[in-house]
Amino acid sequence: MNGADDVEQELRYTRVREAMAEQGLDLLLAYGPGWRRENIRYLTDARVTGSAALVLVPATGDPAAFSVRPADLAVIAQRGWVTDVSRLDFPAATVLTERLRDLAPARIGVAHLELLPQALADAIAAGAPGAEVVSATGLLDNARMVKSDWELAQMRRSAAVCAAGWQKFVDVLEPGLPEYRIVAEVEAELKRLGAEDNFMLIASGGDEVMGMTPPGPRLLEEGDMVRTELTPQMNGYWLQICRSAVVGKASDAQRRSFDLFNEAVEAGLSVVRPGITAHEVAVAENDVFRKHGYGEYCTAKYTRVRGHGHGLHLDETPIIEGNHTVLPERAVFIVHPNTYTPIAGYHVLGDPVVVTATGYEVLIETERVLFETPQGVAAA
Amino acid sequence: MKRGLVVLDTAEVPEQERPDRVVRLQRRLADEGVTIGLVYADVHRSDDVGYLTNLCIYWNEGILAVPAEGDPAFLMKLSPRVHPWMRRSSTLTDLRSGKGFTALVQGFVENAAEPGVIGLVDAALWPATAVDEVRAAAPGWDVRPLGGLVREQRLVPSAAELGLLGAAAGHLRTALDAVVGPDLPDGERIAVLEQALRGAGYTDLMVEVVHGPDGVSAVEVTGQFRFSWLRAARLVTPAAGAPQWAASLQDALAAARGAVAPGEAAAVPAAAAEKTLTGLPAGATAHATVVHQADLSTGGDYASPDEQLPVGSVVVVAVEVLFPDGGRVAVADTVRVGETGAEQLDDKELHA
Repeated sequence: MNGADDVEQELRYTRVREAMAEQGLDLLLAYGPGWRRENIRYLTDARVTGSAALVLVPATGDPAAFSVRPADLAVIAQRGWVTDVSRLDFPAATVLTERLRDLAPARIGVAHLELLPQALADAIAAGAPGAEVVSATGLLDNARMVKSDWELAQMRRSAAVCAAGWQKFVDVLEPGLPEYRIVAEVEAELKRLGAEDNFMLIASGGDEVMGMTPPGPRLLEEGDMVRTELTPQMNGYWLQICRSAVVGKASDAQRRSFDLFNEAVEAGLSVVRPGITAHEVAVAENDVFRKHGYGEYCTAKYTRVRGHGHGLHLDETPIIEGNHTVLPERAVFIVHPNTYTPIAGYHVLGDPVVVTATGYEVLIETERVLFETPQGVAAA
Repeated sequence: MKRGLVVLDTAEVPEQERPDRVVRLQRRLADEGVTIGLVYADVHRSDDVGYLTNLCIYWNEGILAVPAEGDPAFLMKLSPRVHPWMRRSSTLTDLRSGKGFTALVQGFVENAAEPGVIGLVDAALWPATAVDEVRAAAPGWDVRPLGGLVREQRLVPSAAELGLLGAAAGHLRTALDAVVGPDLPDGERIAVLEQALRGAGYTDLMVEVVHGPDGVSAVEVTGQFRFSWLRAARLVTPAAGAPQWAASLQDALAAARGAVAPGEAAAVPAAAAEKTLTGLPAGATAHATVVHQADLSTGGDYASPDEQLPVGSVVVVAVEVLFPDGGRVAVADTVRVGETGAEQLDDKELHA
């Protein structure tokens, strides 16, 4: 693992403690369940595997970490950011209760309070009776949003692996191949290149395809459009590529669909600059659909988001109308207007970008085209 | 992450088996005086819901509401656009989407003739906020914590599940055989396993190559095949030969397997393994564990070593050594608890 250095540690803890002071917190508890470990990694620079972990950050003094899995403790301590590590006994969590009794905080912020198990909530209440407990999920989301040079370097590595994974995806497509075998081939390639993990959804078929799912046993057919969101994780950092490819020659409808989605991606990208909101990016994308008479397909009935942030979690700030979160310089997110339309069914297309001082930089080098197999380009 | 094959195949598990599992849970709920049982699931821990309905929760979280009488419903924050896929790949017919659990649970309980008892299955693991949402949704109802009622049902696999576990174990054995030679890069070992096992239909897979001192490393695979889990870990023999302590790990694993017996606490085979270990490097600590496959989505993090092993259950026997520099090595195998001891899952006689 290519670990972050002391400068990165100082930057993160300074940022987090400043936010704690602004919110009047004298203690931060970052909770990391098995599917949301981003804050644990942010505060320890360690890759933990336990089903429940916590990092305790007092307003002053050294942080401490807890995990239900013994193997995590040496992994965290060895990185050196947090050396006070303890096994979290569950469900009693006496180690946490006792620590809180010693610290006697008055106001505790809990990141991922919304996911905190009842047993740990009870332990906090027992250890800090009378303390005000508030959510600090947003505090850490905001802290993580602005990426450092070191973080951007990790994400550029993810970008290279995204490109290689997509190339493998295109290379293996052929009639008769089941969806899950495509995933097996792509996963192998990503892991060969050093990916820690990958989030991937897929859909194959024609204009009947309404959304993205895990792979099934469906066999590819000539003329299918095969869509994927492919999201490798390198050294903790996720990055996504969204593309679609046609098995054989693309139909006119598939080309028209690509043109519509490509125009929407371009429109979303065109407004990106420091200080733009997620809402404004989404509006720019959706206005293209509205202009062409497909506005209804930008609603929750057909789609979820028009993109989302990336970092130590793969699905951070949602790019969606109504989300007025400001996207600052060095925020990283994908612009993807993925949705269903009756033109050619669900279509997937999008590029991850970093917000720069003057606009944006696309992080992947893969062409934004409608791919055909054997390798070709139907629309660009 | 759950990005491998998801399939509902009645040739693998008979059509009536899953509804029968729900009926068994409903009888238990009725015995406990519970009107509606709620099973919380998220992408990390969702096997109870998968067992009852074949639904794969590949993202986010949800609640399966199982009334003591009537059909279960899945309550989720995902949009209705995922319903067609959920209907295709599960036995669920009642799928409900909403912005929060309060409104969803409210919608489910409002048809009850009068307030009753809501039981939260595996209550200690529920997010406290979700518990609050349930309470807010059901004023007048008694909201009560329950233990792992569905987990209890899952501990002893059915004949169909055992067949799937046997097939999965065969794939795992073959794939591991191909990658434990001394001269492969770590990434290549992982890639070969991903390709072979996801290609064979594994739904979830976590593969690690872990390292200890003296050039010793191990390949560890935890995988989900349909809704059952397996783990295996094997040492990669260094070109210069294995040191004594590494050989001792194999002896410890054999000792643990030899001590697996129905009715024994999980701690008994673990203790047998730890007694056998000798000559570990300075500062190293060893842990032997016996964990039900039913607990493997959480790695056995919440399992009790005092729990007795039922006959017919399937468990992972593992010996792990942790080193002060964060390194570790492990050996592990997944076995059935037979009448007379541990049985290989892919033993042909087991499936005759």
